[in-house]
Amino acid sequence: MNLSILLSGQLLASVLVLASLYALVAIGLNLVYGTMRLLNVAHGELVMLGGYVAYWGFVRFGISPLLSALIAMALAALAGALIYIAVIRRLFRSVRLLQRVESNSLLLFFGISIIVQNAAALAFTANNRGYQYLDNVVAIGDARVAANRLAALAIAATACFACVLFFRYARSGMAMRAIIQHRDAAALVGIDVDRINVQVFALGFALAALAGALISTTQEISPFMGFPFTVSGFVIIILGGLGNLTGSIFGAVVLAAVEVYGVALISPSFRSILVYGVFIAVLLLRPQGLLGRSIRAR
Amino acid sequence: MKLSLALAATLLAAGMTAAAADEPIKIGYAISKTGPFAPAAHTQINTYELWQDQVAAAGGIDVGGKKRPVKFISYDDQSDFGKAPQIYEKLITDDKADLLLAPWGTPFHFAIAGILEKYQFPLVGNSAASVTIREIKPGNIWFPTSCIPDRMATELAKFLVQQKVKTASVTTLQLPFSLEVKKYLMPALEQAGIKVVVNDEYAPDVKDLTATLTKIKQAAPDATISLSYPPDSILFIKGARELDIKAPFQLVLVGPADYFFSKMFGPNLDGIVTMGHWSPHEAKWPKAMPFYEAYKKKFNEPPDYLDSALAWMSIEILEQAVKTAGLDKAKIREAISTETFDTINGPVKFKGVENVTTPTMFLQFQKGEAQIVWPASETTASFEPKSGWAK
Repeated sequence: MNLSILLSGQLLASVLVLASLYALVAIGLNLVYGTMRLLNVAHGELVMLGGYVAYWGFVRFGISPLLSALIAMALAALAGALIYIAVIRRLFRSVRLLQRVESNSLLLFFGISIIVQNAAALAFTANNRGYQYLDNVVAIGDARVAANRLAALAIAATACFACVLFFRYARSGMAMRAIIQHRDAAALVGIDVDRINVQVFALGFALAALAGALISTTQEISPFMGFPFTVSGFVIIILGGLGNLTGSIFGAVVLAAVEVYGVALISPSFRSILVYGVFIAVLLLRPQGLLGRSIRAR
Repeated sequence: MKLSLALAATLLAAGMTAAAADEPIKIGYAISKTGPFAPAAHTQINTYELWQDQVAAAGGIDVGGKKRPVKFISYDDQSDFGKAPQIYEKLITDDKADLLLAPWGTPFHFAIAGILEKYQFPLVGNSAASVTIREIKPGNIWFPTSCIPDRMATELAKFLVQQKVKTASVTTLQLPFSLEVKKYLMPALEQAGIKVVVNDEYAPDVKDLTATLTKIKQAAPDATISLSYPPDSILFIKGARELDIKAPFQLVLVGPADYFFSKMFGPNLDGIVTMGHWSPHEAKWPKAMPFYEAYKKKFNEPPDYLDSALAWMSIEILEQAVKTAGLDKAKIREAISTETFDTINGPVKFKGVENVTTPTMFLQFQKGEAQIVWPASETTASFEPKSGWAK
């Protein structure tokens, strides 16, 4: 592999675009898991639905996907809040169910993901769909990138940065981090865990929908596109550290870099070996994730 | 007394025969309506539905000289080719289907071949292509496609030589069909004296082809050959455009025949070569354009130049066989194995399981329409080198 290709702006641009979208997906997933220990296997389906909102918005109503992204986020946040209030809260009230919340949530969300995928296939038909938006190619330095990928990068990166600020300085954000650190202690110091949980679901879902809307401008969407994002999301949050929100961003960059540079260095046929190899290596050498703290008793 | 009894019996028998003549025949199939293959199978599902509409409007199909109405039974195999044999067995034994239509995709065709053999039930395949079809015992399944990997490889090499291509890049998706094509293509290219400057393979869940495409851009071959399936075909074409890859001959194996690609890429799809053997613009095939128009009218988009055309061909073959042979399985088998059929893709005759009349061809998109550009005997338009990408 030519060094000039490896160091080119072209590959760097790819890494950044991929990482920013992965990060959005991962932060949402990590939030829900970190605060409530729920394995949202249906997270990828939210990405898919966000993509469809942007698609229909553009194709039916001529609304820019960037605006539809806001609509998708609002709808997803609402859906998240409703799901929490109607289903999850009940799950937490039952002591028996709470004991096995992780495994129960795995089954629950797995079932939801299948239902959502196939409901979407029945409602929207299973065809691939795509549209052309900001399709012109922009030259930056020695790199040529489609404008929609640049826009996706810009918006996703801004959103991630906003999240970092939110978790650092906003009361709700800090409360979320407190719950992730130690749920009972957070309750003891007066944090309304239930209210924050609603916000967690809303925010987590909204971020996934945003990612979906942005992704729909760069690639085709179909009812079954969500699952690879779920898998990547889980790899990233474990890589970066479960519950560690900046770790998700870091993990996303690592995964994207391994995918693009690793493949460039060795060969595209090694992509899965590289990605999962790095994943397994991290799990073996540093099970708490690259940025995670060592596991402590709860 | 005896006379009236005989009369009553005759009338009853006549009534029953008359009723039997109007009794609908059952045509069954299972196809991927849900699951990961559903997006790919939808054009075949559409084609079947188009036929169902036409049959209903005509009041039925001609079975051995008599018109019989048709009841269609369809199931969803959920993109699981493990389920396909069970569903087809159910169609044969439980639903008592008189005729069967094929599922979508090579693995599904192979999966049901055993059941068809077990029940000696003839079925005309469509959306399947592999050199291994020749290993299937003939008599119960037939494959009308001419896009068999070894034939495609030899024809492609000839095509490239004709276009004076000296260097090529070959990027291959690691799935059976694309790997099969590569297996036959590499020696064919070597024999033709074409140098392969980039040779990459990648797994199906790839999300980014930038590294490979950058290598291709640097190597600047005369031809880029992307042995890809729709998701990575999209990545390839997008990336090739981003990087402004200037090769005059750009082939994308699977994908462009689906109208989705035209919608997605618009004028950027012009110049792309893809596999296929049907175009509505072929004047030699008078039935081609009416099918194209009918499909477009019903679904507001053109048919898939590969899967929809094949599906319709399999329907035409079945209809014509049933017209002469009725519902008797042995007679249908005889008819399909020996007759020459008149389809939207011209004449089709089988030798064993393979269609030996339709030549292996290649399509190229020109001004948004698929034209046949190879071989010379079938072309509807001349090959046009790809002249760059729209801004």
